[in-house]
Amino acid sequence: MNKFAIGCGGLLVIVLFIVFVIGLFFWGTYNRLVTLDQNVNKKWGDVQTVYQRRADLIPNLVNTVQGAANFEKSTIVEVTNARASVGRVQLDPNKAPTDAKQLEEFQAAQGQLSNALSRLLVVVERYPELKSNQNFLGLQAQLEGTENRISVERNNFNGAVQDFNTAVRRFPTNTIAGMFGFAPRPFFAAQQGAEKAPTVNFNFGSPAPAASPAATP
Amino acid sequence: MKRIAFGIAAFVAIHSQAAEVIPPKPAAYFNDYAGVVSKEAANRFNEQLAQFERETSNQVVVAVFPKMQSDSDVADYTQRVAQAWGVGQKEQRNGVVLFVFTQDRKMFIQVGYGLEGALPDATAFDITEYRIKPHFRSNDYEGGLAAGIDSILKAVRGEYKGTGKTVLERRAKGPAPSFLFFVIFVVVLSIISRVMRRLGGYGYSSRRRGPVFIPMGFGGGSSSGGGGFSGFSGGGGSFGGGGAGSSW
Repeated sequence: MNKFAIGCGGLLVIVLFIVFVIGLFFWGTYNRLVTLDQNVNKKWGDVQTVYQRRADLIPNLVNTVQGAANFEKSTIVEVTNARASVGRVQLDPNKAPTDAKQLEEFQAAQGQLSNALSRLLVVVERYPELKSNQNFLGLQAQLEGTENRISVERNNFNGAVQDFNTAVRRFPTNTIAGMFGFAPRPFFAAQQGAEKAPTVNFNFGSPAPAASPAATP
Repeated sequence: MKRIAFGIAAFVAIHSQAAEVIPPKPAAYFNDYAGVVSKEAANRFNEQLAQFERETSNQVVVAVFPKMQSDSDVADYTQRVAQAWGVGQKEQRNGVVLFVFTQDRKMFIQVGYGLEGALPDATAFDITEYRIKPHFRSNDYEGGLAAGIDSILKAVRGEYKGTGKTVLERRAKGPAPSFLFFVIFVVVLSIISRVMRRLGGYGYSSRRRGPVFIPMGFGGGSSSGGGGFSGFSGGGGSFGGGGAGSSW
């Protein structure tokens, strides 16, 4: 009888221990997922900030460019329209989008603005008056810096989403993620050249750059 | 087999296009990998920048390379390098790196998050375009770098307060407390083990002479302090792509 009681007690201890370990695992995993999720949201906020920064620069840029004698109107209209359409695709800056379509729309609108802006900067090359305007040069530097920031923050965001998605999809974390409703998040797709500065190729004579042999360091 | 080898070769050929080299963390504030300034000038710049960190905690690093080891845009590439080097203090994120690629005739000032207010893109552009570029155009690297460094320091001075020491100098003092901690740890452990033995806790351990420790070299003595040269060590700052550059 006594031995039986000790055996029961021992079993109970073992069961309690297993429950405790599982609880600990749940606790740690859940907290880790929350941390990763928060990180994604924070990085999303950073992305929104830099896009907003670009949008804020545009009125100033438009004003400066308009001041130039008979500046081509169509490019200005294009930039203004693109900025307006960006304003229409507002996403919550505190919470990263969970819907891939939403993010796609956002990216498309921003990409359109990027294109319009780079066209404007190309047109500006034809106006020496602007090219020597200190105000314009300062704006141009800021705009370029903002584009750089956008690419940095987008990369950071994608990195955070990747960490989160990996955790959500991997076993055994995925079971807990499923239980608490953590779903993989969409990330920025590389755009068809819209985000990249146009590259100028001076490779006369030699074939396309992709086929050129590897440069030895 | 041959096809596989060809496949690998093609793969390498395509991917080496995108491959880039992030140079190792620099050991000095002023790094002339292209050999364009005199030794005295390099030392002078280095001390100027080290002293600046002591006074303001801002880490300003200059790196002159012969060539860019990447196919990316100079702004993208230098952001990644500056981030990897961790220039600037971790909390304030107050690092600035002036990159110069002599053969590419390109330069870029990368500004850490914490100094974007003090050194906005327009100011950075002003520095590269009007302070440095004219010197570089006439092959006066030393003059251009001196003007660039002075302008950068002038812009970011006053943004943060220094501690009188660089990151490396603070780290060099590091081993002392950790060694003290180690000694206390050993003493406490030996007391505990003695008490345990007195209490007769673990009979089978009575033959043991207390814990045995193999001291693993702590911290690895710093290499600074030789001949007045101030070494550089990044504080873990981060960069968000702020800054501007020029080509000449």
